[in-house]
Amino acid sequence: MSSASTVAPSFLARVRRTLDAAGHTGNLGLLLAGVIIVFSLLNPSIFASPLNLQSIAYAVPEIALLALAIAVTMSSGGIDLSIVATANLSALGAASVSIALMAGGVPGDAAAATGIAVALTVGVGCGLINGLLVAKLRIAPILATLATMTLFSGFAVAVTRGTPLYGLPDAILALGVQTVAIIPVSFWLLILAVVVIWAVMNRTGLGLRIILVGASPEAADYTGIRRSRVLLSTYALSGAIAALAGILMSARSASATAEYGSSYLLLAITIAVLGGTNPLGGRAPIVGVGVAAIVLQAISSGFNGLHISPYIYQILQGLILVVVLVVEVRRGRLTKWITRMMSRPPADGAALAASTGAATPLKEQPTPKPLTQGSHEHD
Amino acid sequence: MTDNPVVLRARGIDKSYGGVHALADADLEIRAGEVHCLAGANGSGKSTLIKILSGVEAPDRGEIEIAGTVTSKLSVVGSISHGIQVIYQDLSLFPNLTVAENVAMTTRVAGRARIISITAARELTLTVMKRLELDIDPDALLEELSVAQRQLVAICRAIANDVRVLFMDEPTTALTWNEVGTLFQVVSALKADGVAIVFVSHKTEEVFALSDRITVLRNGKVVAVGGVAEFDRDSLVEALIGRQELEERIVSSDVHDSPVLEVNSISAPGLFAEISFTAHAGEIIGLTGLMGSGRSEVADAIFGIIPFTSGRVAVDGHDIRSGDVASAISAGIAYVPSDRLTQGIFLDQAISRNLVASSISSLANKLGWLRPKAIRAGVDKLIDELSLKVGSPDDPVSSLSGGNQQRVVIGKWLATNPRVLVLNGPTVGVDIGSKAAILQILREKAAQGITVLLISDDVPELVSVCHRVLVVRRGRLVDEIASQNVTVEAVRERSIA
Repeated sequence: MSSASTVAPSFLARVRRTLDAAGHTGNLGLLLAGVIIVFSLLNPSIFASPLNLQSIAYAVPEIALLALAIAVTMSSGGIDLSIVATANLSALGAASVSIALMAGGVPGDAAAATGIAVALTVGVGCGLINGLLVAKLRIAPILATLATMTLFSGFAVAVTRGTPLYGLPDAILALGVQTVAIIPVSFWLLILAVVVIWAVMNRTGLGLRIILVGASPEAADYTGIRRSRVLLSTYALSGAIAALAGILMSARSASATAEYGSSYLLLAITIAVLGGTNPLGGRAPIVGVGVAAIVLQAISSGFNGLHISPYIYQILQGLILVVVLVVEVRRGRLTKWITRMMSRPPADGAALAASTGAATPLKEQPTPKPLTQGSHEHD
Repeated sequence: MTDNPVVLRARGIDKSYGGVHALADADLEIRAGEVHCLAGANGSGKSTLIKILSGVEAPDRGEIEIAGTVTSKLSVVGSISHGIQVIYQDLSLFPNLTVAENVAMTTRVAGRARIISITAARELTLTVMKRLELDIDPDALLEELSVAQRQLVAICRAIANDVRVLFMDEPTTALTWNEVGTLFQVVSALKADGVAIVFVSHKTEEVFALSDRITVLRNGKVVAVGGVAEFDRDSLVEALIGRQELEERIVSSDVHDSPVLEVNSISAPGLFAEISFTAHAGEIIGLTGLMGSGRSEVADAIFGIIPFTSGRVAVDGHDIRSGDVASAISAGIAYVPSDRLTQGIFLDQAISRNLVASSISSLANKLGWLRPKAIRAGVDKLIDELSLKVGSPDDPVSSLSGGNQQRVVIGKWLATNPRVLVLNGPTVGVDIGSKAAILQILREKAAQGITVLLISDDVPELVSVCHRVLVVRRGRLVDEIASQNVTVEAVRERSIA
């Protein structure tokens, strides 16, 4: 016992130091490793099989992209609840245009390219509608995008009468089934998207403005950042990312429908927050969101392999969201507390030592009378 | 006064946060019916001491004697039940409730009342106000009141709680001269009732006008204690900052004849009317007046936050569109707003991001990609130019002291190479050392040909740097004090007349 207790703290301390150095995304990487190890041990023949890992890799990209769309809007201090509806509407646009083109004798690849362009246009259009509501009309993002969510999906149902569209061009279907170096094409696309979105958020003026608007809209106004223009771009970006997710969704299901992925919205929010996005804005950890998507998909797949009810997964998903939000709130409080404590200029500590010897105009030494009670011990 | 009984005594208080020794062996003795000034620069430990005496923080060492009992730490409820009340700078009032509800709220909650009677709340409020000879409508919503009235409401709330020691953290920061007068009257009334008042202040004049005794903290230690008669201005300042404060009038004679900022008869209904003045290259113009006189609104309008309905504003002959911040910025106007924490800085963001926030376009290439080398070079140059004390530019700006945060706001604008720098109360809540540094930055920038418009009600500050001082009263420009007449006495007299 005694030897164990002397070893344990130092080991824990070392683990903690490593974790601190790696940051939140590093923690997520460890979490992912833990999840994979646990399920591999529980279900060695199935979970760790290349086929299963590949199926996880097929499922991750669409949900990861939706979570990235949430992360981008959250970092501006808002949210886009219409992402799944936008994705479906974009996919329907791509499907209907490319199917019609092929019916008119246009080659499949050209039809696919046109379809993808249409999807992105629809996605950006949906985003601009959200952006107008949020930026120009100053409607709370959560309400504006809840309304457009109903609007977009209602429109999609009305146009298709609720029936799925089949017969997508092969080039689009290939995105859902083909692999390059064992890894699905869609996963390669996700990696590319993560790099591009990361670069936009961290290496462009737009990304910096989005984060600053999210950090403090009022300070952004007084800094000369055109808030409404920035928010318009934010929601357009979110719409474009959702459209990309929509293309991958239709590629994987070989169809486009108004009602695909109805459970994806909350999952995408959970992933975005687990990935380290601050729901209050000002932080956009794009890589973390990508890793968090893999974590949740791995858990879902692991549960599946163990024949655990999907309802349990749903409960777990909700639980993760609650726990991460609680941690986020508490950490917010903690960091605020820590920064407040550390906000004294560091020179004070040094000056304290120096000033003790310096001559100070002491007009009258404070000489309190002896107190009634005796000595006190403090810890 | 010295014969009055001690109501609160702290002895040998020690408190560290991490490696920072916030308080070292600090003593404080508060007597009934005295006005005690707790003076100290930012980070001297005053706030920590107040937190410990109000039970918010526990000391590492030391003891607190209150009403004859000695304890090693107080709880918040314990300190309230002993009659200790603190009015923080943010006042902690409910803007959506009425005056009466605000005054009665804490007593009712503390008394575990589940049903709150509006009539009783109003009666309580009227009683308290009568005692202080105040006249504020108990049914008014708090958000409809001026800052000064809100502060009086906060005092009423403290009194409703049967206060014996009232701490006030920089109570006059947001007040104008005559509002300060009202506050002083209330303080005298409380004092006559035997309430001890402990107030925190940076302003030396106020300290002498108001206090009976003074305790000066510096770097966590009590460096001077005594009756007000034992101090003079110089010795107090020396105790506060450990060296002599330089507040002589230093203005260059190097003002160019070329007009830069032309403000021509601008009006905004209900805020200000027919404001006209011209500022030249290298000139520092002071704009002063009582709070609510319209001086802040004039600054907001020049920067485009508030639209003006008539008249024109031009920089170098180019007109600025009314109510358009972007047009003001592209004309070369920079604005350091009055509320540093919510308008000036992005609190949780890195110092470097705060410094580049206003000049993002110039740091990106045509495609919008940021140029990291240009950013790093710009940030390093600003940190050097402003002599900012930072650990790393990637630290959050919240890790800096108030004075350094304000320098970051100024730096953010210097990065845009402005023609006109408008500052609204840039040294409010800033310690004396940082204040001197900020004023020196203004002198240097003026010497480089920038036009500076300084909105302030800190008269010595205006006198120290301004070539001319303009006075706003009830929304109109009523006076201009030319350079040879700018003295503390003249500015004070003509701004409150």
